[in-house]
Amino acid sequence: MWAQILEQLINGLVLGGIYALIAVGYTMVYGIIQLINFAHGEIYMFGAYIALMLITVGTPFWIALPLSMLLCAILGMFIDFIAYKPLRNAPRLSALITAIGISLALQNLARMIWSARPRQFPSEVLPSFFLSEITETGKVINAVPLPGGGILPFRDVFIFLLAVVLMIVLNMLIYLTKIGKAMRACAQNQVASNLMGIKTNQVIAATFAIGSALGAVAGIMVGLSEVVTPTMGYYKGVAAFAAAVLGGIGSISGAIVGGIVIGIAEVFGADIHSGYRIAFAYIIMILVILIRPSGIFGKATSKRA
Amino acid sequence: MRDKLTPRNIILCLCICSLPWLMYSIDGIEKLLSAYRIDFGWPGGDYVIRILVRACLYMLLAVGLNIVCGFTGLLDLGYVAFYLIGGYTAGILMQRLGVPYWFALPIAMVHGTIWGLLRGIPTLRLTGDYFAIVTFGFAELFFRIIRNEQWLTGIPNGQLRGIPSPSIFGITFDQNWHNYYHILILLFLVVFLNYRLQNSRVGRAWVAIREDEQAAESMGINVGRYKSLAFAVSAAIGAIGGAFIAQFQVNISAPFFEFWESILILCMVVLGGMGSIRGAMLGAAILGSLGEILREVLTRFTDFPELAGSRYLIFGIILILLMRFRPGGLIYKKT
Repeated sequence: MWAQILEQLINGLVLGGIYALIAVGYTMVYGIIQLINFAHGEIYMFGAYIALMLITVGTPFWIALPLSMLLCAILGMFIDFIAYKPLRNAPRLSALITAIGISLALQNLARMIWSARPRQFPSEVLPSFFLSEITETGKVINAVPLPGGGILPFRDVFIFLLAVVLMIVLNMLIYLTKIGKAMRACAQNQVASNLMGIKTNQVIAATFAIGSALGAVAGIMVGLSEVVTPTMGYYKGVAAFAAAVLGGIGSISGAIVGGIVIGIAEVFGADIHSGYRIAFAYIIMILVILIRPSGIFGKATSKRA
Repeated sequence: MRDKLTPRNIILCLCICSLPWLMYSIDGIEKLLSAYRIDFGWPGGDYVIRILVRACLYMLLAVGLNIVCGFTGLLDLGYVAFYLIGGYTAGILMQRLGVPYWFALPIAMVHGTIWGLLRGIPTLRLTGDYFAIVTFGFAELFFRIIRNEQWLTGIPNGQLRGIPSPSIFGITFDQNWHNYYHILILLFLVVFLNYRLQNSRVGRAWVAIREDEQAAESMGINVGRYKSLAFAVSAAIGAIGGAFIAQFQVNISAPFFEFWESILILCMVVLGGMGSIRGAMLGAAILGSLGEILREVLTRFTDFPELAGSRYLIFGIILILLMRFRPGGLIYKKT
């Protein structure tokens, strides 16, 4: 009983780490331009597909990962440039509808290029420690044995550690570097920071790039533990958005906490009823919006005058 | 087209009403010509009428969604929930309990309205993005319930088979042209109601809420009540569409009511121009038939028939381009 709960808790933490990585992309963009970037889930899906393609043609995993991050960062900036930038001064509803349009277009583009068939990362080209198993003699390979007979694969340990490292790097980027300072300034007041000589459009582009790169990592992680499909961005994307809302949209530490809460809730929810696996994330999100719209870490905002 | 019986409108009405007859006569012409080995590639009258029925159904839904999205200016991403409720209410009543369609339709409508009001209670004070996200969440929950609760529908994945066609005095309405007139009458009633609402005190209150909620409230408009009314009417229309599709498709299943269907209807409203009834209908007519037309054209003239399956790609691009270059939609209404 307790061993099972422990195992599920660890699974939830791993999933939560992935959600946190995606949620950061939502929350950073929302913090600066107040836009729910629906296309973020699709960028994450493209990250998984790009890495998959690179690995299939023989690129080593350790090169495919950063390359996919880079390409997704470019994709994110490109989307911002062609679609969102012209709408900076338009009503927010227009930008939201544009975001839905991009999401729709990218998802179906992926379906056209790679077909709707679920794919998996080919196991022979991945680093060997990703392949964990229990041999017939009961020896555990590439995994940590857990009390109660379960195992914690090194792959999951790697995913969680990578997520933690990336979050620390992100926090350092935001609180210790100049571009991070500029981002925080833009999130506080875009006009004022523009007047202070900050090139807001560049800062927004950088935000998209960072969020998309982290999304790409999350996509690869999900690809490693599950399958890669054109709709993966939609489901995980919305759950990650729920995480961002739960933590308080605009707050990065909120996104991390929210991601872990949603991850654990989803894993335990799946135990109760597997058909409602993702629904628990939605229910939490709706409740949070209704009860405390500013989330756990968010600042309460006043109504538009 | 409003309220006026000009010759142009009368001719237009006659044309719309005689479309099935026209289609079937083209069938006849083709049969005649085929004797002389001439084939002009007519896909068949029944098929065309089926597309027309679908386009009309989408017009109905778009007009319904337009009330919340266009008039009150709240982005509803979960409209498909009411479509689903209508479809399954009517479907279950007719197939499992044997209720006649003529009773199932109003019951479905009432049921949809109830849920529209219930959803309105928590979402009344939300605006903008949060409203959109909560409506999306609600629709997704309904979708999951239909997919998972077998006691409700009987078969997994929300499949409901063999929904009987409506009948009156022993005549069963199961032909495609029956359905065409059926949806035409429903559409006419809904559009008529919509115009009456739009030009009434209620419609003006909705538009006032869209333009500035606080100003509207300070002018003495009971924002909560008018928003609830908008949700209710919109949900009722969605449920009518659902009840219709249940008997039209005979078999329905959960994938009919997926999230993207909501987006598709939203695309129609946006394409036509939010807040314009004619715009919503035009958008629905274009996008509702675009998929089938694309499939016909692509299979006939190109080697890539599979491109038609990706029509959502085109819808996405349409949304982006519209917001960029013509945010007011095709029929732009100045306010």
